[in-house]
Amino acid sequence: MARFEYLEARSLRQAVSLLQRHGEGARLVAGSTDFLVRWRQGVWQPQYVVDIRRIASLARISYSNSRGLRLGPLAKIQDLETHPAVTRRYPALAAAAASFAGVQVRNLATVGGNICNASPAGDTLPALLAFDAECRIVGPEGERWLPLASVFAGPGRTVLQHAEVLAEVRLPPPAPNSGSLYIKHSPRGGMDIATLGVASVLSLEGDGQTCRNAAIALGAVAPTPIRASDAERLLIGNTVTPGLIREAADAAQRAASPIDDIRGTAEHRTAMVKVLTQRTLETSLAMAQGSEVSTRRQRDLAVQRAF
Amino acid sequence: MPDFKTLGQSLPRVDATQKVTGRATYAADVYLPQMLMCKLLTSTVGHARVVKLDTSRALALPGVRAVITGHDFPDVLFGSGALRDRRIMARDEVFYIGDPVAAVAADDEVTAQEAIELIQVEYELLESVIDPLDAIEEGSPAVHRDMPNFEGYGFAMGGNNCTLLDADRGDVDQAFRDADHIFEENYRSQPINQGFLEPMACAANVEPDGRLTVWASTQGPFQVRAQLASVLDIPISRIKVNAMELGGGFGAKLRLAFEAFPAMLAMKTGRSVKLVNTREEAFTLNGPRLETNIHLKTGVMNDGTIVARESHSVFDVGAYLGAGPNSGVAHALGPYSIPNIRLRSYGVYTNKIYVGSYRASGVADMTFAVESHMDSMAHRLDLDPMEFRLKNVMSEGDTSVSGARLPANGLRETVEAVKQRLGLPKKLGENRGVGIAMGEWRSGSGPSTASINVNEDGTVSLLTGSVDISGSDTSLAQIAAETLGLDLGQVIVSTRDTDMTPFTGPSGGSRIVYSQGKAVQQAAEDARDKLVSLAAQRLGVPADALACRDGKVYVQDNPAQSMTLSQLARASLTSQQGPIIGLASLSSMPYAPVFNTQAAEVLVDTETGQVKVTRFVQAQDVGVAINPMSVVGQLEGGAVQGIGRALSEEMQIDPETGRVMNPSLATYLMPLAVDMPEIETILINVPSESGPFGARAVAEPPGFGPPAAIANAIYDAVGVRINELPFTAERVLAAIQGKNSLDRTMDVDSLKRREG
Amino acid sequence: MAATMKTPLVLNLNGESRTALVQPYYSLLDALRDEFQLTGSKKGCDEGDCGACTVLMDGRAVTSCLVLAHSAKDSEITTVEGLAGVSPAGPGELHPVQQAFVEHGGLQCGFCTPGLIMSAVGLLNQNPNPDAEDAVYAIGGNLCRCTGYNKVIEAILAAAETMRSKAG
Repeated sequence: MARFEYLEARSLRQAVSLLQRHGEGARLVAGSTDFLVRWRQGVWQPQYVVDIRRIASLARISYSNSRGLRLGPLAKIQDLETHPAVTRRYPALAAAAASFAGVQVRNLATVGGNICNASPAGDTLPALLAFDAECRIVGPEGERWLPLASVFAGPGRTVLQHAEVLAEVRLPPPAPNSGSLYIKHSPRGGMDIATLGVASVLSLEGDGQTCRNAAIALGAVAPTPIRASDAERLLIGNTVTPGLIREAADAAQRAASPIDDIRGTAEHRTAMVKVLTQRTLETSLAMAQGSEVSTRRQRDLAVQRAF
Repeated sequence: MPDFKTLGQSLPRVDATQKVTGRATYAADVYLPQMLMCKLLTSTVGHARVVKLDTSRALALPGVRAVITGHDFPDVLFGSGALRDRRIMARDEVFYIGDPVAAVAADDEVTAQEAIELIQVEYELLESVIDPLDAIEEGSPAVHRDMPNFEGYGFAMGGNNCTLLDADRGDVDQAFRDADHIFEENYRSQPINQGFLEPMACAANVEPDGRLTVWASTQGPFQVRAQLASVLDIPISRIKVNAMELGGGFGAKLRLAFEAFPAMLAMKTGRSVKLVNTREEAFTLNGPRLETNIHLKTGVMNDGTIVARESHSVFDVGAYLGAGPNSGVAHALGPYSIPNIRLRSYGVYTNKIYVGSYRASGVADMTFAVESHMDSMAHRLDLDPMEFRLKNVMSEGDTSVSGARLPANGLRETVEAVKQRLGLPKKLGENRGVGIAMGEWRSGSGPSTASINVNEDGTVSLLTGSVDISGSDTSLAQIAAETLGLDLGQVIVSTRDTDMTPFTGPSGGSRIVYSQGKAVQQAAEDARDKLVSLAAQRLGVPADALACRDGKVYVQDNPAQSMTLSQLARASLTSQQGPIIGLASLSSMPYAPVFNTQAAEVLVDTETGQVKVTRFVQAQDVGVAINPMSVVGQLEGGAVQGIGRALSEEMQIDPETGRVMNPSLATYLMPLAVDMPEIETILINVPSESGPFGARAVAEPPGFGPPAAIANAIYDAVGVRINELPFTAERVLAAIQGKNSLDRTMDVDSLKRREG
Repeated sequence: MAATMKTPLVLNLNGESRTALVQPYYSLLDALRDEFQLTGSKKGCDEGDCGACTVLMDGRAVTSCLVLAHSAKDSEITTVEGLAGVSPAGPGELHPVQQAFVEHGGLQCGFCTPGLIMSAVGLLNQNPNPDAEDAVYAIGGNLCRCTGYNKVIEAILAAAETMRSKAG
């Protein structure tokens, strides 16, 4: 256990400069839902903590038809679950948020924290990946944009340099005739770290049958959350049939390279990739074809209270 | 039912307001002036000699006031169970990962933790054994080489088998030869944690007169006092234990836990010291349940009559015999009448965290095996599982395993109630199934005392030494109120410590309302008799003409002629008999069985293996419900613990080292509200012959049936039998795909051979 | 090692402004218990997994063991002690949620109870008309080992009804 000093940043700029000033011994903290736990375990031993929790301007969620969804890094997971723009246009993200820990943690945890902790099992990450999220990163040298997929460097690691801060997350506007869902496989209907999770996004051409675009992202089956690109390619441009969905699910399974741990064996995880991919695609297809799937139903599917 | 005034009403708990306002004081809520905080250093290896233990760097850290090791304690072996097999803190040898090695008292918790990290320990590894089926084999590494010298060591096979219980009746071998069918099956239950929400905590202080005061989170303050005296080698008269509000125990807090460490540190420093376990410590240091391997062999006639049962159970007790394998014998038959039996139950040491008690230790494990086995046999005999059970259930007058005669009970009524509620037998839709299980328990006995004094305002103060678990204070107060004809609000339940209250057995085994309640009833009757006798003198009427009700003692034929309890209490102060105090003391209670029937409906996801309990119904013979709301609450909570045991809970233990791999509430998976069906509970009321107002024990049985009921429901749904707990998605899916996960079973022939 | 002096923390706590010296690494839960003498919020895990430490921060339920104490300044913090008023005779009138837990047997050992109550109040702050599913979901982050949750859900729904009828 190592004691640390508490510093508060009132702006992004101040956060960067505090991190710079105190060097590698300084750690950024937002919702702090992981921080104190890891600190007590002795995993993280900063000398300085730079707290950005109360920078209100970084907590905004906004949507426009032209630019899509803009998430401040301090947007709370609970707000992702309930914000109308998210529930209506990015259902897989809302479902992922609903599957995340419990209400009290969702009220603290932030989307930026979920990204920067870079857990392979982070619940919002497959959905964000599947929606082609882009990240604005601000640092001493200015700012840069990175696709979310290239932010992750390994379990718990990102490509962010010291004193770089995630400043914004953007999701492009969804295509018309689209649907999406996240399903998390875990023993309980809440509070669990995902054994694995799959998010699928599917959009159809005007004919209501041909796949215009597809995105499938997998969590907790590789060192980072990943896209199942081969599976996506099988779908895009083709008529979506039950058989094609099964083929795509098989392809997604091949993209997985999970490990054994206390939550499950690699074998079980691999097998589940197929089932969850198939189910997320089936529901996404139904949604894209105009079926109403209530938010409550999506939530129950996401945590496998309904199957 | 008689015309009760207070009894049988769902009154709010007497402690409810304290608890909903956050004002109930648990041990961790004790803050004393100048209090130091204690942290523990525990073994990181499963079996080793301690070759070096250097605390000097820790002691040198500013803010550290004392460091203790095993050598600071008297060289005393003590026991939590039948054997004196352990030291409170390791001296020269550690036996499991988590065995306490040193403790620090410092100005604050972070400093104490820093000091712990500065203690240097060197271990010389010894051979260890983790799997109980390895440990019980001849020639396996010895966990305790001194075992034959342990005080209390009795009949066992030796090696790591530290205790062996048995029961025999009839001629089993002949009965098997005569049986039309013989069924043999193996079952395995998992290591499991009690999951109390309040981590163990205690504070200690040395008073100016040299006596030690301990604030403990315990179910048994007198047991803590006795064991603490033993490990500190001081008279019990030097110790006072305050039993604080208990944040869940379920058996885990029946015995001495860590109280000796702040106590010794308080003695060393002269300051108060508090220890509050982390959640990780709650999982890794002491007292959960470990795995049980069960082999059942049953002989059945063509008409479904069971004629013989042979049972071998191997209970892994971990490093010390914290709780014995009694259930392996007592619950190997289930609630069935079987004439020929051979039952063996083995306790086996391994280099793992040592076991404690959990809600009728081992009975849920045995019930899982016995009730799955019943279902399995019924299907193979092509009999309805419920009819097969009813054909074999015990009846009044039958003899239990322990030799007791079965008194009147509501066993059949519980079956009937569940059958009716669910409309059994029935076949549900695709991937859905229904399963049942029956359970049995005996109402707990043991030393019980109570005293009741009548206050000058006509209220009464009830003094008991039993810690409130499961709302027992409220039930005891209702028993006192009913006996004295008072409202619940007129009974004050005192908080308790070992100086003030008379000796009482621990709150465990569902004994409080049944046994302690009887003592309270008798004490209240004693007080009532004294009130009536005084009133008879003052009113000049014979005592038997009087009744005590509604705060008065009155002439039954002329209620206007009366004295209030307040008048009588005041009069008693100057009366010849003196102030009115009712007393009762008893040591044992007759055998009063408790039976229940539980049923689960499940939906199985055949692609993921996930099992969802969609409906749960249970019926239990509670005798008379002192407080129905409280009784139903106990039954609901117990059922949910059982569902957790069935579906998701397991302490995962590293097979190489014995380390607990999931020591957190994020990884040890207890049921959440989102996972539970509504629990439907039916109370059956066949009054017991002996309990207060006919009450029976309540709290243990609801946890027994869920694993078997759910296993049987899964079988009904998808046609696979799973012999190993818990029914994780992965295990269920494997079973559906034809893979049985129970890959290792005990060698029963070898066990029999060694018995000779 | 960085300097780790206790520094003053001003909290807007249960409707009062209160100040205490608090270590920089303290959680809000530790500060409430050790420095503000409010022990109603319980430490069941210190990892955000049990919900026994739940308090309201600006009206929303949060696990106080995960919040850095100094990060809570300027926020409105309500603990279980702040729900019922205090009168000379003891606790004042109970909050409808507390009252419902008492009447419906929504508590047993009581250790998880303050957290469950705060989660329920957090729900009712946002949704005065919850159904059973909403209530179940709102306490999805609270472990209770005693009750099996049935009576907790009953209590929350009863409290909602009381509050609606009071609001008229």
